Amino acid sequence: MNNNEIIKVENITKSFRLSAKQRKVRKLTESRIIAVNGLSFSAFEGEIFGLLGPNGAGKTTTLRVLSTILKPDGGNAYIDGKSVIGEPFEVRRRIGFLTSEVKLEEFFTPDYLFDFFCNMHGVDDEKRISRKQELFERFGIDKFAFTKVADLSTGMKQKVSLVTAVAHDPKVVIFDEPTNGLDVITAKVVTDFLTQLRMQGKTVIISTHIFSLIEKVCDRVGIINDGKMVMCGELSELTKSESLEDLFFRLYNEKGGETQ
Amino acid sequence: MKNGAWVVFRKEMSHFIGDKRLLFTAVIMPGLLIYILYTVMGMAMSAMMTEEVKSFKAAAVNMPQYIEEMLAQSEFEVQHISSDETEKIKQGVADGDYSILAVFPDDFENALDEYVSKLGADEVPNVEIYYNSADINSSQAYMKLVSTLDVLEDSLSNVFDINNSGKEESYDLATSEDTAGSILGSILPILLMTLMYTSCASLAPESIAGEKERGTICALLITPVPRSQIILGKLMALSLMALLGGISSFVGIFLSVPTLMSSVDIEGGSIGNISADVYKISDYIKLMLLIITAVMLLITLISILSTIAKSVKEASTLVMPLMMTVMLASFMSINVTPKDVSAASLCIPIYGTVIGFTEIFTFSVQAGHLLIAAGTNIVLSGVGIFVLTKLFNNEKVMFNG
Ligand SMILES: Nc1ncnc2c1ncn2[C@@H]1O[C@H](COP(=O)(O)OP(=O)(O)O)[C@@H](O)[C@H]1O
Ligand SMILES: [Mg+2]
Repeated sequence: MNNNEIIKVENITKSFRLSAKQRKVRKLTESRIIAVNGLSFSAFEGEIFGLLGPNGAGKTTTLRVLSTILKPDGGNAYIDGKSVIGEPFEVRRRIGFLTSEVKLEEFFTPDYLFDFFCNMHGVDDEKRISRKQELFERFGIDKFAFTKVADLSTGMKQKVSLVTAVAHDPKVVIFDEPTNGLDVITAKVVTDFLTQLRMQGKTVIISTHIFSLIEKVCDRVGIINDGKMVMCGELSELTKSESLEDLFFRLYNEKGGETQ
Repeated sequence: MKNGAWVVFRKEMSHFIGDKRLLFTAVIMPGLLIYILYTVMGMAMSAMMTEEVKSFKAAAVNMPQYIEEMLAQSEFEVQHISSDETEKIKQGVADGDYSILAVFPDDFENALDEYVSKLGADEVPNVEIYYNSADINSSQAYMKLVSTLDVLEDSLSNVFDINNSGKEESYDLATSEDTAGSILGSILPILLMTLMYTSCASLAPESIAGEKERGTICALLITPVPRSQIILGKLMALSLMALLGGISSFVGIFLSVPTLMSSVDIEGGSIGNISADVYKISDYIKLMLLIITAVMLLITLISILSTIAKSVKEASTLVMPLMMTVMLASFMSINVTPKDVSAASLCIPIYGTVIGFTEIFTFSVQAGHLLIAAGTNIVLSGVGIFVLTKLFNNEKVMFNG
């Protein structure tokens, strides 16, 4: 880990228009909801940064802004110095985006999908072949390389999902709720994957509401609530005198956060 | 870096080719359906031939008074003409202005008397009847006249011939083109459009709304490939598949044409020797031009609706009004004589294309019309692709905003 800022978020805000139906469901009168409200933080090269917050805190929205899926209303964010607003294509070359939900076209084989994403990212053939061999071997996908995704086990699907998301060897991996809804064995595959990425010098940002996951894998943590950063720092510093959970609830009550 | 559109195109194609069900509904079924439909229609048409038609406008040379009186009972209205007018009237029969032309020999009654008294001279009086088998009215007039004369001939103990001059000339003034045109031009344009629509509608929702529904589109959209290329790749694959569907419809038509034609037998001669080869290569090229551009337009329109939809199911609901519009525009072209169509109305999407199909099948192509119809399809597809790119770049539309 060094002080090279790979992810830099500067005062981003993002609000969504609510449809009449959404307003009714949420019992709100305002036509817009502010999901992220002036959020700033940085993540450094080679670390795993965790965004911790309750449901609706704005974690997914933040990660989507970082992945150029959503444009912020205000502020800016940079990946490896490239602005998500000004140079989204440069950003896309540098990131892999993942969620715990496996979203693979079931019709294809892992081998086909890996090649497809390499080609979409413009990876040259030599690199593609060596990378495929290495990753497939490491995750035990090689035996199923030519089996349709539809016929794979949940765990294997998850592995294929991880591998295809980083097929182009991105510098930064953005992972929304990495272990949400996973069985313990698959969750272990995912956490091992994250620590392996750190070992390779990648920068990883995850979002979660699970304290233990942060404690297990993260170097630094940002606690967010209501679209704002409540506290941000080294995990070891923050948890010197109290557990992460105690810290979280102390902050949560201080800020007068209300449960939805 | 490889061209993104090519990469997307290859992926889409390998999906389509590998999916047996998709391949069947999009490519095989249209042809199969049209083959069955047309074969059944061929049978139905022979039944139609025997239907009563009210009155016949006949022209005759030297028709004896008593024959005219006999025919009056069958609603024949006879116009007497001189023998030098026959060529003009023949054209009239071919064009449908006259039902029939009957040419009796000069002095028919004397010739009969002479023949009867000599008891079989070498000169058998011959009655020539010109008709148009592609025209229902003319065919019926022909049958009526022949049967009337048969009755007469029987009563005179077989003393004259009908259409037995030994001339090379055909008495059926319908060209094989007329015949094919009248059969293929009536419903085929609508059928073709409907089947093309079906092909398109079975492909696009799966490819776009399906990927949205399953969330796989997200991974595609955060690659460095521009969205316009992603769209292009998808549209190319979809259009190619729909086009194969169109070609399959075609093969279906032309395999069924012989059966269809041979069922159209009329008294006094079969026209079963007619096949689809009355259409020239240039006709097929024109047809392909229309089909390709129309497929592009349909695919683009359905893709737009599939992009707006959040799921395949929603997409299939959203395309319903489009389907109705396509049907309506197609059926509007029934009973329209292409000659009377204004250039402006050919700019109406779908409708213009169906009129274009009709012109091709009935050999009344007006190159300007086809260009307007095809041009409209191309321009609208272009606008559609622009809209599609806007939609793909809209986070609300693409990410469930
Ligand atoms: N597309 C959207 N339309 C309307 N509201 C949204 C949309 N996406 C997120 N929100 C709202 O914004 C807030 C933050 O959501 P999100 O970023 O998903 O939070 P988290 O991931 O921390 O649970 C929530 O109140 C959520 O309901
Ligand atoms: Mg979330």
